[in-house]
Amino acid sequence: MVNRIILILKSYKGGILGVSLLLFLVIITFYTIINIPASERSEWNNPSYWINYPKNAAPYWTNYFMELFNQKLPEHKIFTMNDAIVRNYSEGTDYKIENSTFIYDYDFETFPPAFSIPYSIQVGDIPPAVEISVKRPDGLVFVIYYNSLESLSNGLDDTNGANEQDEIQSNGEILIESQNPTVKDDVSTNVVSQRLFSSSREITEALSDYTNLFDFSTNGLPAEKIIFSGTKSNVPLQGKYEFIFSLYSFDDNTDLKDILWIVEGKVFGVLGTDDFRRDISFGILIGTPVALLIGVTVAITSTIIGLFYGLISGYKGGRTGGFMVIIIDIFLSVPTMVLFIILSLNYGKSILFLIGLFILFGWPGLALINRTFSVQIKNYPYVEASKLMGESDFRIVIRHIVPQLIPFTLANFALSVPAAILGEAALSFLGFGDPSFPTWGQMLQDAHFSSAEILGYWWWIIPPGLMISITSMAFILIGRSLESKAKFDKRR
Amino acid sequence: MTIILYILKKIVILIIVLLITMLLTIFLLGSTIDKIMVDNIRMQVVNSLSNSLSESQKLNQFDNMEQRQKFIDQQIDLQIKSLGLDEPWYSPKKIMNTLFQILTLNLGNSRFFTTHDGSSSVNELIKEKLPNTILLFTSSSLAVVGLGIVIGSYLARREGRITDKFIAGLASLSLSVPPWWFSMIMIVVFSFFLQIFPARSTPVIPPDSPGYFASLLYHMALPFITIVLIGFASSIYYVKYIILRVIEEDYIKTLGVIGIPPRKILLKHALKNASPQLTTMLGVGLISTLGGSILIEEIFDWPGMGNLFYNAILQNDSPLIIGLVYFFTLLYLATRFVLDLALSVLDPRIRTEDN
Repeated sequence: MVNRIILILKSYKGGILGVSLLLFLVIITFYTIINIPASERSEWNNPSYWINYPKNAAPYWTNYFMELFNQKLPEHKIFTMNDAIVRNYSEGTDYKIENSTFIYDYDFETFPPAFSIPYSIQVGDIPPAVEISVKRPDGLVFVIYYNSLESLSNGLDDTNGANEQDEIQSNGEILIESQNPTVKDDVSTNVVSQRLFSSSREITEALSDYTNLFDFSTNGLPAEKIIFSGTKSNVPLQGKYEFIFSLYSFDDNTDLKDILWIVEGKVFGVLGTDDFRRDISFGILIGTPVALLIGVTVAITSTIIGLFYGLISGYKGGRTGGFMVIIIDIFLSVPTMVLFIILSLNYGKSILFLIGLFILFGWPGLALINRTFSVQIKNYPYVEASKLMGESDFRIVIRHIVPQLIPFTLANFALSVPAAILGEAALSFLGFGDPSFPTWGQMLQDAHFSSAEILGYWWWIIPPGLMISITSMAFILIGRSLESKAKFDKRR
Repeated sequence: MTIILYILKKIVILIIVLLITMLLTIFLLGSTIDKIMVDNIRMQVVNSLSNSLSESQKLNQFDNMEQRQKFIDQQIDLQIKSLGLDEPWYSPKKIMNTLFQILTLNLGNSRFFTTHDGSSSVNELIKEKLPNTILLFTSSSLAVVGLGIVIGSYLARREGRITDKFIAGLASLSLSVPPWWFSMIMIVVFSFFLQIFPARSTPVIPPDSPGYFASLLYHMALPFITIVLIGFASSIYYVKYIILRVIEEDYIKTLGVIGIPPRKILLKHALKNASPQLTTMLGVGLISTLGGSILIEEIFDWPGMGNLFYNAILQNDSPLIIGLVYFFTLLYLATRFVLDLALSVLDPRIRTEDN
């Protein structure tokens, strides 16, 4: 059996390509199922899961091409607590300073798009104070943030509101930020968590003290374009930057629980990120099993329905057969796209519904093909002979006609997978996808909604569509090979 | 006689499909339409009450708010009864009524969209957008088939293995690539990187200004090129396949034996005999692009019916959706019918095949 398959594939090069593409997809599927647990898969549409990722970052390998033009886009950099150099000072008995210093050797020609500093502090009886400063390569030191957490714990809502408003004003599209309150106060353990964004008002105000150090007007410039800028003109200053996070604590219970220093980049990961900071490679991975599931389920079911419907209508003939053909005709004359949209409007957004829909409109075409064949086979002498011998209709169909049709049915199966996959992608693109099963079509919908094609975010558009094409292509190639194999066998 | 029967059968099927589609649409959207109409009536009643009465009358006419509310409810009920809205949308009378209204093109007004002149009538809206859809998709389908016939018949005469393989591969590729995704890629390439064509295909100047048509054609270029690029490989592949099959027939081979030049055989006899299949190809191409038009028009922002449909769905504009479904189905079925008709004229065998 295996040898035979290999032999078949050898004579059909397209088939080999198809099988290897399919193998590639199956490997991705297994990799996804094993490595990404279901709980994590559902995080795709959860913005807070992706908050530490950069926004609209290109794949990192674009830098290899940029180097040809002597340019390099800044990489995404996350400094964790382990990267920090911690120094403790204590002045007297009543307060001590804990300095966490991060060193970043910045050697890019462009500014980073943003930075953010999420931190959480365990607060004791007396609220501590926090100071963030930057020591630049040219020796200047900017204090970009100073806050005593007293004001935080007293006027929590106040600060929070101001912060959020500021976010919306400065960026205009703060979808993720505004959904996540920047300040979370956990009462039980008394841990204050805050996320400081480069666009927040406190930083902008603090930086306005240093305006006179620059030879140009820093008015209206975002924080990262001031901090990382040379003093002569507004171009990035390269060299070692030291970010110092100082915690002034006044009792022994105060402790820095966690801190990250995220300098957002313009390149990230193998496939980059999208406007919602999601890692595109993650979406590509989790989309694979769903696409295969939809395609294969629809194809198997509609092939089987089509096979038996076509068989019966062809074998019966006469009035019943004619009526059955009219039903096929009706199904085939329906403007499917329009009807799909109308149906999805009411029942959409469920993967089972989509699968049912594609089965409902997938089988009639296959039934028509099978009918033609079964009409032919019915008139073969050996079928008529077995009829004369008194075999029942059921037996004749199962024993003599179905085996004849199996090669073609296999080909039809493979050829009807792409229709389902392309259909699901199109409906997802129109916004009728199942949100709990992220698919490539939904990724493209998000891309289109964010005007990715106009803004030139090619890394967001190409991979999902390419995966759709590869999947369809694999099945088309396999189907074509099986088809020509079946035709060849039949002729013999 | 058989041809009339054949056409009649086709017409009956088309009418059944049209009725099913429209009934389904009414079933799915009927309840929302009723809700919209009741809301409109409520607003009208309340508005007319507060407009027609002066301050003092308002106070005098009703003793308290309850009474006023009662009066309003009464008025609303009266109007609802007179319009037949008290019956549920699934009552047969109501459905027949709605169906009749749709079939007589009494489609009502859109809730959110207006034409350039400011009319919100669904008919006017469709009248404005339909020509654009037909312009784009007919011209590009014709171009695809034309290219297919020219290149396909050229390739059929000289079977080079490399070009054959290349075209076959390209055809498989274009079948597996989603056309709307390819459109996005085209926008990235031609509008973002090369900046040759505008990314948004709706002309910025108003439709009644003199340069509008030229501008429209310029904006049409990118969608047109995209559709042609998607379709041409399959078109060439099929034309070549069809012509090769015709050329294999004995009567064509005979022509070659009696000394008629191959060029003449191809143009005069082979193409003529392949015409039914070629027509099918054109028809199927048109039909399939019509469904895809919703996505492609939306991506290019081409001012056609598909784009309007997409936006109507986003806004949940039920009257407009129903009107557009009707027109789309009509357009689709009409194309199919013309195709069937043309086929039965070109190829008499088809008429009797089923019987």
